[in-house]
Amino acid sequence: MKRRTLIGSAVVVALAALSLQGCAVVNGSGDDPNTLRVMMGADTTYPKERKQWQQDTAAAFKRTTGADIQWETYSSAQEELTAIQTSVISGQGPDVYAIGTTFTPTAYATGAFVEMGKKQWDAVGGKDRFDPASLGISGPSASKQIGIPLASRPFVMAVNKDLLAQAGITEMPTTWDQLTEDAKATTGDGHYGMAVAYADGFDPWKFVWGMAQNAGNTIVDGQKAEIDTKAVQDAYRTYFDWVTKDGVVDKAGIGWNNAQALAQFADGKAAFFPMTTTTAINSFKNTKVDGKYEFALLPTVPPGATERPADGIDAASILSGDNFVVADYGKKQDLSFQFVKQTTSKQAQLEYYKLFGQLPTNAAAAAELAAQEPTLKPIIDAGKLSKPTAFTGAWSDIQLSLVDVVVQSIPSLKSGEVTDDQLRKRLQDAQKDAQSTLNRQKNGGL
Amino acid sequence: MTATQTRPPAATDRPVRPHGKTPLYKKERPLWMLLPGGILMLAVIVVPLLVGVFIAMLDLDQYTLRQWFSAPFVGFANFAEAITDSPLLHSIWISASLAVLVTAVTVPIGVAAAISTQNRFPGRGLVRSIYLIPYVLPAFVVGTFFRTMLQPQGVVNAIFHTDVLWLNGSASYWALAAVMVWTSWPFVYLLSLAGLQAVDLEVHEAASLDGATWWIKLRYVIFPYLRGPLSLAVIIAILHNINNFTLPFVLFGIPLPSSVEVMPVLTYIASFQSFRFGLSAAMAICSLVIVAIPLFVYLRAVQLDTGDDARPSRGQRRLQRQQTGAAA
Repeated sequence: MKRRTLIGSAVVVALAALSLQGCAVVNGSGDDPNTLRVMMGADTTYPKERKQWQQDTAAAFKRTTGADIQWETYSSAQEELTAIQTSVISGQGPDVYAIGTTFTPTAYATGAFVEMGKKQWDAVGGKDRFDPASLGISGPSASKQIGIPLASRPFVMAVNKDLLAQAGITEMPTTWDQLTEDAKATTGDGHYGMAVAYADGFDPWKFVWGMAQNAGNTIVDGQKAEIDTKAVQDAYRTYFDWVTKDGVVDKAGIGWNNAQALAQFADGKAAFFPMTTTTAINSFKNTKVDGKYEFALLPTVPPGATERPADGIDAASILSGDNFVVADYGKKQDLSFQFVKQTTSKQAQLEYYKLFGQLPTNAAAAAELAAQEPTLKPIIDAGKLSKPTAFTGAWSDIQLSLVDVVVQSIPSLKSGEVTDDQLRKRLQDAQKDAQSTLNRQKNGGL
Repeated sequence: MTATQTRPPAATDRPVRPHGKTPLYKKERPLWMLLPGGILMLAVIVVPLLVGVFIAMLDLDQYTLRQWFSAPFVGFANFAEAITDSPLLHSIWISASLAVLVTAVTVPIGVAAAISTQNRFPGRGLVRSIYLIPYVLPAFVVGTFFRTMLQPQGVVNAIFHTDVLWLNGSASYWALAAVMVWTSWPFVYLLSLAGLQAVDLEVHEAASLDGATWWIKLRYVIFPYLRGPLSLAVIIAILHNINNFTLPFVLFGIPLPSSVEVMPVLTYIASFQSFRFGLSAAMAICSLVIVAIPLFVYLRAVQLDTGDDARPSRGQRRLQRQQTGAAA
């Protein structure tokens, strides 16, 4: 009996060992030295174009390096985080990631991506091939960078020229108060002054961040959160009043995301669409605003002021776009840099703009595009006036706190008023959460 | 006839143990055959649970993720923070109340649906298939579908001529409950149907011969048969509803409105948005303990954990005793 038990146990252990070995082999097969694994966000706006771009890029890569590309996608920011976390822990996964600029500080904090020295920059065609502004959120300093700029998407306003002309508005607003006044002037006859999406997961914090920056508040000052401040409170107040007090935003916007606000503008029902970027260009084609709209810079003078205070920041947009980061656990770093070099070349970047409407980060491509398409000037200017969000691993949490203030205020927006007490309480909560996140930072937040 | 002669035979089935010796029924049991299951349980449940407890005692975040094994050990600090300085208790309340509410609503719906398809009628197979649609649709599809319908200018407000914010504020709780009911009642229906299949035709005939009305039949003949399957359905439905992540995540996105700040999404945010893996592991363990206590009580109450399905209920035991007494 004992002998049989022993044999039985041995068989079970052997089977378990084989199964585990099998798992290891499955993992290992994804590590083919001639296949580069690239992870990018899924493109729901231009899926066909994305597929075509991937095929063309892989074919060109095969011609120059002899290696294949295995594309992997994430469909949401959460999936992006999960994929990166799994790879960081296991030391296995994609070789190159295309990540959002605001996520770069968090990626930097994990320490799992190659820090770009001279050798690495040379391998991707030189640091000077990139527009200097696009490198603003590649790392905590010029000598400590992990992000290689792939695309730039500065935020601007789309403006319905016809509705502005009907209201007799000839100049674009440069202050937030002017924007509100112009929106009031264009509201009526079934039109609204602005298309704003209060239930969007990202838009709200960008508005608040911009207005606060203009007032000289950077949300994070070193190790200190600055959310429970007058500048931020004024920003939220202005943002909320548009729909509750000024009546320049459709009340339905309280439940909208950005795509729904875009649809309202594209339907010719709103004069200003104040948080959009070049990716909307293709969406505006063959709509009621096709040929009737233009882009303009977002205001840079804070609410309640006619000119920017001395410590105010001339920030027209967050520094927005995508960066490539190369995993340092991978053994295909040379291939990774060749891939980055290929996709950030002048020609590839112009093609990328044509397909997806995302501005080049390649300086030569950006200059050529600006010369070819003067209508893009406001967007290119916005790119130059873009400012990075705080470069700290805590930013993701702080951003969530800023959005949460709006999410929890939505029932009050619906009822017509967010009181000062309610707003103050929510700002205090957000301040507490943000400060607690900053207090937990290690390595100075990086 | 004596009382001892009429007692259920279960107690006397067991072989008589000769004094001081290992009983025969224990001697030859090939316990080693439990080894594969034991190893599997160890690998799939015990090891991850222990790793979870270990992680809950670490200050594991984006800064220490890479060398997670050497992340600072913080003992029970994460547990203390989860209980005293996080919305965990609020989220447990939301999750548990939703689970109980949804289960309470789905049980009568599921039983009624099962009874409605018990008798043969033309098209019964089709009706049964239609009943299962909510259950077979992937949760994210259901979430997307309802998210569209519950928009401020969506179908629901249009139909009811209302102007309610279903996806934010206090109404979001009821919206989530309604969607959870829609997706989960077919599970109760399935188990009830299985219970009904076990009712012998003779039992129906005997009840009819005795002149039992439909309600008497339902209450005293059918329902006792459903007791086991329904007890199981209730426990599984509650667990499933407490752990429902996909529906609130897809319906409301992140951050969640506070009225639907459910436990699984809160834990997810702590892990994958705030990168506080230690805290989220502590939250998960606290939730497990807090939810496990009433579930354990429930399991004991309905005797699902005894493995003795045939054990008579308290009423049946009382009846048995009375009969035994009368016979004596």
